[in-house]
Amino acid sequence: MFSEELKAFRRLGFRHVLLQALNFASVIASGLMIWKGLGLLTNSESPIVVVLSGSMEPAFYRGDLLFLTNPASERYHNGDITVYKIPGADIPIVHRVLETHDVKSRGSSVPNQRLLTKGDNNEVNDIELYRGLSYLERKHIVGKVRGFLPYIGYVTIAMNDFPQLKYALLGGLGLLALIQRE
Amino acid sequence: MARKKTNGPEISTAVSPEDSASASPPSPDRPLGPLSLPPLPPTHDIVKVNTMNAVELKNACNDALKRYLSRPGLFKQSYQHTDVRLALGWLSVFVAGGTGLYGYKVEFEQSKPVVWVGLILYMLLTFTQTLYAYFIEGDIVFVGKRKTFSKRIITERITLTSRTCPVSFPPKSATVSKPTDKSIPPQYALALSYVRSTSANKSLLAKGKTQAVAPYSQFFDADGKMDVAVFERWVGELVEEGMDGKDK
Repeated sequence: MFSEELKAFRRLGFRHVLLQALNFASVIASGLMIWKGLGLLTNSESPIVVVLSGSMEPAFYRGDLLFLTNPASERYHNGDITVYKIPGADIPIVHRVLETHDVKSRGSSVPNQRLLTKGDNNEVNDIELYRGLSYLERKHIVGKVRGFLPYIGYVTIAMNDFPQLKYALLGGLGLLALIQRE
Repeated sequence: MARKKTNGPEISTAVSPEDSASASPPSPDRPLGPLSLPPLPPTHDIVKVNTMNAVELKNACNDALKRYLSRPGLFKQSYQHTDVRLALGWLSVFVAGGTGLYGYKVEFEQSKPVVWVGLILYMLLTFTQTLYAYFIEGDIVFVGKRKTFSKRIITERITLTSRTCPVSFPPKSATVSKPTDKSIPPQYALALSYVRSTSANKSLLAKGKTQAVAPYSQFFDADGKMDVAVFERWVGELVEEGMDGKDK
């Protein structure tokens, strides 16, 4: 199947192979840089997340894609929907802010707030999820939800549940970039 | 006029060296042009492309051009443009990779300054790459140099650019417009500029700029097989015109 392409590679030389590999590598590099740039612009570690559970229904369902920002100088209010990560747990959680308490901070740019959250579809607040903490601090917050797209996140969920899909997609993309010439 | 048959099944005609040697070169120290060398024996595989894809047609022509002009008796290809593109490209990939790795290892707030530096560096490199490709490299396909010695060292430099002219229609005349007016199929436009000077470019001996346009159907048959001999002869004629110092 690839004999034609292999023959072409041998005919065109080593520089050509490097050029084609560069095509593939630069696609990946530009995707990575766009992601990092978005993270820096929004001041958020992970500006796009996927909802994994149904604890925020009927606002967000499993599989929704969320867009976050985390402006350092802005305060969070009751009712804001935030995504936070507890140290020690990998999974970010999307819940609504129930209470905010201010603590006197010594002139730092980030307002020193302590937050309590609760999922809309949950019976109780999130104290049990905090793994020993009594409240959330600003440094745990990944960002505040600004917008969302329904259903798109299922692609990510599928790729996490079936890793073969991820490798197949990457492998297919790589093959295409190595063989096509512009 | 003797005709030599070569051992390849695809080439049915051959240009014999006696043909072009009989025409006297215009200047006494004009080096040999590409037509005066015997045709390349078909050691390479048959070139077969998808005739519907203009990009593949152009790439096949460009590759055949590079193979033809970088033969041992002819020009030596200069890889400067390719090397610059490779260097800038791979450098930007490594910068991106390094930045990504750093952002992965170090916690977000702490990593921000380094990630900013990496991002700006990446954008600069990509911008430089784009500018280089657009302004300096342009449509250039082949840059070649040759040094020959006859009484004194002669340096030649040839640059070829190529592009595809898309399908076009002949201009409609006001009075008669026949339904049988055929569209012109995609064409391969080749332009070259040639300079010949004595060693270290001390004095200019010859300079030529030529160009030619030919439809792809002249070089490819319906199946997509490339008639390399016809293509090489077309290119050779154009190069010889340039070497003779014509300006077209």
